[in-house]
Amino acid sequence: MAMVDVRDVTKVYRRDTEELTVLNGLSLQVEEGDFAALMGPSGSGKSTLLNLIAGIDKPTSGDVVVAGTNVAQLGETELAEFRSHNVGFIFQFYNLIPVLNATENVELPLLLTHLSKAERRERALTALKVVGLADRAAHYPRQLSGGQEQRVAIARAIVTDPKVLVADEPTGDLDARSATEILDLIGILNRDFRKTIVMVTHDPRAAERARTQHHLEKGVLRD
Amino acid sequence: MKFLPYLLKHLRRSWFRTGLTVLAMALCIFLFCTLQSVLAQIGALLDSTSAKRLVTRNAVSIVFDLPQAYGARIQSVPGVERVALNSWFGGSLPTKKEGKTSEEDSSSSTTDWSNFFPNIAVELGPFFAMYPEYQLPPDQYQALLQDQRGCAIGRKLADKFGWKIGDTFYLESFIPVHRKADGPFEFVVRGIFDTDPVKYPGTDTNIMVFSYKYLYEATGRTLGAGTYYVAIKDPEKAGEVSAAIDALFENSDAQTRTETEKAFAASFISMAGNLALLLNGIGVAVTFTILLVVTNTMSIAVRERRTEIAVLKTLGFTSPQVMGLVVAESILIGVMGGALGIGASQGMMWLLTHTPGIRDALAGIGLSSLSLRPLVAALGFANAVFLGFVAGFVPALGAYRARITDMLRTV
Repeated sequence: MAMVDVRDVTKVYRRDTEELTVLNGLSLQVEEGDFAALMGPSGSGKSTLLNLIAGIDKPTSGDVVVAGTNVAQLGETELAEFRSHNVGFIFQFYNLIPVLNATENVELPLLLTHLSKAERRERALTALKVVGLADRAAHYPRQLSGGQEQRVAIARAIVTDPKVLVADEPTGDLDARSATEILDLIGILNRDFRKTIVMVTHDPRAAERARTQHHLEKGVLRD
Repeated sequence: MKFLPYLLKHLRRSWFRTGLTVLAMALCIFLFCTLQSVLAQIGALLDSTSAKRLVTRNAVSIVFDLPQAYGARIQSVPGVERVALNSWFGGSLPTKKEGKTSEEDSSSSTTDWSNFFPNIAVELGPFFAMYPEYQLPPDQYQALLQDQRGCAIGRKLADKFGWKIGDTFYLESFIPVHRKADGPFEFVVRGIFDTDPVKYPGTDTNIMVFSYKYLYEATGRTLGAGTYYVAIKDPEKAGEVSAAIDALFENSDAQTRTETEKAFAASFISMAGNLALLLNGIGVAVTFTILLVVTNTMSIAVRERRTEIAVLKTLGFTSPQVMGLVVAESILIGVMGGALGIGASQGMMWLLTHTPGIRDALAGIGLSSLSLRPLVAALGFANAVFLGFVAGFVPALGAYRARITDMLRTV
């Protein structure tokens, strides 16, 4: 069974009387342990598709089954719980909380668990080690470079050991060297930690790192 | 509790703004506690009055006397049990001068306002008969009646000045007609009265009474009565008896106004207008203003954190949890402001009751026991928490309703 199974999904945004169809009967399967890249021009619907897979948005019609759960049928609270257990999200602009240091940022998703403070701290430090930032555990986002911030964000995404990692242009705000390092890291997570990864990117070099590539255009897959 | 460090870190994000908001909240709670303490003290003072007592005064103003002859006529009104003529003396201790005691410098005309306390010339017999809350030992009462210069002082006053039975002191009135040519009045402490705080709660013993006859004779036998205390047989008929007394003097030069002791005390304290309404009005206005200030602060804080709220939701925080964090942050501001405000109010109470001059001015109007009551402090704290909750609720509701995709899009 596919880890991500998108079946005949349509997403329509409504503003007043206007309707905008962003995804139009789209279907996509991503197998467990796969590393899929979603590519396409701006407005093609790739970020919308990623949001549906991550469970932060719901389709107008169709099913989105992730890790065996049809997220299209979940309520708001159930969706939040689903995200906390199954999905790690990597943003383009890192979106770290500026008042929290690296460890505290990584620890944030663990506040929703029943782990003790010491256990949370231990796991956060382990995640930081995985991304190679154990020595920056006490640093605040403003004290880190863009690449380091994105590493912390990746540590935050993996700290709950989710089944799926979704990344929305994770190298879009980085220089070439940092981008390569981040792509290397994502590759390791896929290869060594068996994480299923769905990544949206404009960058063909980033897409080349993925095992499978999917091209979207005007809300439908072209490959 | 595990979210507390997270909340505190957010509050420190803009410490200047947080500090100002906490100060605004503290000011609100400070005013609330201080004003309510004053009102509570006035309320206690009024509650200590008896429903069985009326006060008859000049209808024009309390500053005008009534003829002494009115006493007997009031006594004849059906329903009246006892009448006690009295006059507010307005005496203060003469100021001590370098190297001289008050006694040595008794001819001085300057007065020490910092040690002002209520002192009243009364008809001693009927006064103590109608004021059972002032408990004077019988032997001291007899000694008081036998010494024209004698006075009875409350326990609090005795403790304050360290006066004992037989001690002598001097008072000089600020009211010209209550002065005598040869200097201040000399008084000898002949009695010290106590009160039962359980039976007569709110009764202030920071007071001195002495014989009206002493004042009358020493000032040339020209004085009238300041007011008349009137004990009535049936409190239910207070209105009826008051009207009957006032009707008696309706066609006289000095018309009277008779009211219950409570109404009289209230008008004496507030002097003009409704003090409680004024103080409560100020409190409500300040509270509402602070509510707007804190709401505005929280709205800005939430608006600044739209992306973070989106991140929290993406990480799996539910909308109620995010809303709870925003409300908790606002309540935390309320808690800090409340604690600060209560502390400041407590400090102000201490300052008022320990600063010479202010302390005695308060004592002069019966507010010597001014203090921050636990109930007022608790209400102040609850008010702060409630304000924090209300101020945080609307922005939190926005965070609750906001969709992740919309908030991320505004980046």
